[in-house]
Amino acid sequence: MPGFDFSNHNRNAALHAQGVQLPKATSTGTTIVGAIFDGGVVIAADTRATSGPIVADKNCEKLHYIAPQIWCAGAGTAADTEFTTAIISSNLELHALSTGRKPRVVTCMTMLKQHLFRHQGHIGAYLVVAGVDPTGVGLFTVHAHGSTDKLPYVTMGSGSLAAMAVFETQWKQKMTREEAIKLTSDAIQAGIFNDLGSGSNVDVCVITAEKTTLMRNYITPNQRELKQRDYKFKRGTTAVLNEKIITREEISKYVTVHELSSDDDVVVVEKMDIDA
Amino acid sequence: MTSIGTGYDLQNSVFSPDGRNFQVEYAVKAVENGGTCVGIRCKDGVVLAVEKIVTSKLLKPGANKRIATVDRNVGVVSSGLVPDGRHFVSRARDEASSWRSTYKAPIPLAALAGRLGGYVQAYTLYSSVRPFGVTAIVGGWDSEAELGVDGQVGSGPSIGAGGKVSGTKAGGPGLYMIEPSGLYWGYYGAATGKGRQAAKAELEKLDLASGNLSLEAGVREAARIIYVAHEDSKDKDFELEMSWISSTEGPTKGRHQEVPKDILEEAEKAAKKAMEGDDEEETTAAEGETMEE
Amino acid sequence: MVMPTGTLSEDGIHIDMNHLKTGEVNLGTSIMAITFSQGVILGADSRTTTGAYIANRVTDKLTQVHDTIWCCRSGSAADTQAVADIVDYHLGMYGTANEEQPTTQTAAALFQELCYDNKDQLSAGMIIAGYDPRHGGSVYSIPLGGSLHKQSYAIGGSGSTYIYGYCDSYWKEGMSEAEGVDFVKGALREAIKWDGSSGGVIRLVVLTNEGAVRHLYLPDQGYKGPGTK
Repeated sequence: MPGFDFSNHNRNAALHAQGVQLPKATSTGTTIVGAIFDGGVVIAADTRATSGPIVADKNCEKLHYIAPQIWCAGAGTAADTEFTTAIISSNLELHALSTGRKPRVVTCMTMLKQHLFRHQGHIGAYLVVAGVDPTGVGLFTVHAHGSTDKLPYVTMGSGSLAAMAVFETQWKQKMTREEAIKLTSDAIQAGIFNDLGSGSNVDVCVITAEKTTLMRNYITPNQRELKQRDYKFKRGTTAVLNEKIITREEISKYVTVHELSSDDDVVVVEKMDIDA
Repeated sequence: MTSIGTGYDLQNSVFSPDGRNFQVEYAVKAVENGGTCVGIRCKDGVVLAVEKIVTSKLLKPGANKRIATVDRNVGVVSSGLVPDGRHFVSRARDEASSWRSTYKAPIPLAALAGRLGGYVQAYTLYSSVRPFGVTAIVGGWDSEAELGVDGQVGSGPSIGAGGKVSGTKAGGPGLYMIEPSGLYWGYYGAATGKGRQAAKAELEKLDLASGNLSLEAGVREAARIIYVAHEDSKDKDFELEMSWISSTEGPTKGRHQEVPKDILEEAEKAAKKAMEGDDEEETTAAEGETMEE
Repeated sequence: MVMPTGTLSEDGIHIDMNHLKTGEVNLGTSIMAITFSQGVILGADSRTTTGAYIANRVTDKLTQVHDTIWCCRSGSAADTQAVADIVDYHLGMYGTANEEQPTTQTAAALFQELCYDNKDQLSAGMIIAGYDPRHGGSVYSIPLGGSLHKQSYAIGGSGSTYIYGYCDSYWKEGMSEAEGVDFVKGALREAIKWDGSSGGVIRLVVLTNEGAVRHLYLPDQGYKGPGTK
C-alpha cells in the first residue's frame, strides 16, 4: 500500500500501554559540581561512564571546553553532552568573532537553554556552565528541558545529592582558590564513594580572570592495586614430547627461498617515485 | 525640470545626479490633479472631508465612497489614483488587524502612520514597482478610556486599580498625512489634492494649534474649505463626503463614522452661503511649493 | 508483573503524560500578585523540584519582563522561562519601536497568545502584574489552558489551593503598602506551611510609580527579614 506506514507506532503504543518500557538511552551516572570563590569559579567531575550496570569507561572526561574562559561539566546522555557543548562552543566562537568581544557566560547559558528547549528534553544534556568574562564570574546549571538556575554552588547528576550534602555543610562565602578546589573535589569524592553511578577519579577545572587551569585526574582515589597472583604459567610447565628441526634445504622443496644480504635489500614489489 | 529626458526619470529607485527621484515627483503630480482632501484635528475629534468630482452623470449620487474605515477608530481619505488609495486602505486594515492579533488592543494612530509611511516608502526603492499615486490623510482617535485586553475573560475587578497618576495624558485625536515618498507628519490640519493651496490657507486661519475648535465647528469648516478649494474648478460638479471621529463621550463614541446626513447638509448649506458672501474678496493663495529647476 | 504506564483507549489513542514529562524540572509553587493603593505586589516561594529532590532552594520565580511589568512563574521551569524570555524580547522591542512604553495589558496579551497557542506543548501557569502611570497597578492571571483573567489579586501554583480561604477572608481593596506586604507574606507562609512542594524563602517585588523594589524574607528569621536588604 502506498503512503506512510503507521503500524509500528500502533504496535509500540499497544506494547507501552501493556507496561513495556521504552529502551533507555545510555546515560552517564555522574557527579558534577561547581562553586564560585573569591576571584573565580571551580567546576569538577568524576570520570566514570556507565552503560546500564556496566562501567563503560573508567577514566572519561566530563569537563568540556566551550571557550578559553568558559567550561562545562556534563551529566546525562554522554553523546548529547559531548555534541551539545561542541556545537555551542562553535557558535559561541563565531559570535565572539562577529561581535569582536570575549564570549560571556550568560550568552553561553542562553544559547544552551534555547537549544535544549527547542528539542523539548529529547537531548539529554544536564550541564553546569562556569566561567569568567568581562562582567565577572558566572555559574549556572542548565537542565535538559531548558530551564536554568543561577547559584553560588551547584551539583548535578546521580551523585548530586551526595555532593550537595558536602556543599550544604561546608560551603562558605568568599573562599580562596585552594579552599574552593578542596571543597569541590571533596564533593565529587562524596559522589564517587556514595553513588553507584559515579566513580574513578576527580577532574577539576579552575577559571579565574587571569587563566584557566584544567587539572585532569586531580585526585585518583581508585588506583588499581597490583594483582597478587596472575595466570601466567611457569616455563617448562608443559612437557616436550618430541622435537623436529626442519632445515632450509628441506623447505626449498616446497617454497622458493631468497637470500637477503642486509636489511636494505628488502624486496620492493612496486617502486614509487618521490619528488626531490 | 531640465533633467527630464536625461533618462533619470525612466526607472523607479534611480537618483538623478542632483539627488532627486523623478518617479516619486511624477506620483506627486498625480496627486495634485486629484480631488481635494481635508483633515482637521479638533479638540474633541477629527474631521475628514473630500471633494469627490462627479465624472459621469451615470454615477449614483452618494455611492462610491472615498473615505474608508481602517479600524473602529481610524479613517483614511486620499487624493490621487483611486485604486492606489484602495490598496493603501487595504494595507492599513491589514496593519491594524495584525496589531490587534498580536497585542489584543487597537493600534495607536502614531504606530499605524509609522507603518504606512514605511510601506509607501518601500515603493520608492525597487525598479519592479512604482510609487503610490496618492497622498493619504489618516485621522483617528486613540481611546482615552481603559480598554480591556481583547479576549480576556470577564471585565476584571469592579474596583479600579491603585497607583494611577492623575492627569496622565492618554489617547486623544490624531491626524497624519502620508505622501508618495513615504514622508509623513502629524498635523493640526492637513490638505492635499488639486485645491490644497487654497485649503491650507483657510486651515491656517483657523488657529488649530490652540486646540479650541470644537468638532461640530470643525465639520462646518471642513465643508466650507472644500467649497473654497473647489472655486478653481467650478466647471466640474462635485459631491462633498465627510466623516468624523469623536472622543468616547462625543457623538461617535470614539468610532470613525460618516457625518450624519442632517449635519452634513447643514454644513454644506452654510458653506454655500459663506461662498456667496465673500465671492468678491477672493484672494489667490501664495504659491509656496512649486517645483523649481 | 509490569505496571501499565498508560491507557490504550478503544480508538487506539494512547496518552501517557507521566512518560512525557518525567525528569522535568517543575516549580511546585506558591505564587501570588495583588493590587494595592499605590500599585502591585508580587510574591513567591523559592522551591524548584525534580521529583522529590529540591533542585534549587532559593529560586527566583519573580521574573522581570519590562521596567515595571513582572510575572510569577509556576509549572515547568523550562517552559515558563522560555515564555518569559520571549515576552521580555517583545516588550523590549515594543518600547524602542513605538516611542511609548508597553502597558501591563500589552504584556498580558503577549503572554496569553503564547500560552494559548502552545497549550498542548506547555505546562505554564503565569500571573502577570505590572504598574504603569495610566492604569496604575494591574494583575492578570493566565492558568493552564491559556485563558486570561483580570483580577484584583491572583494566586497560583500547587500551594495556592491551601490559601483560597485565607486570601478570601483577609483580602481588602486598596490596602497600604505595609498591609499589602503583610497580606502576601502571610498568605505565602501558610502556603509554604501546608504545601510540600513549596518552601524556602519568600520573595516579593513591589511595583509603584517609584519603580521596582525587591523584598526577601528568610525562614530562619521567621520570615521577618531582611526585607528590602
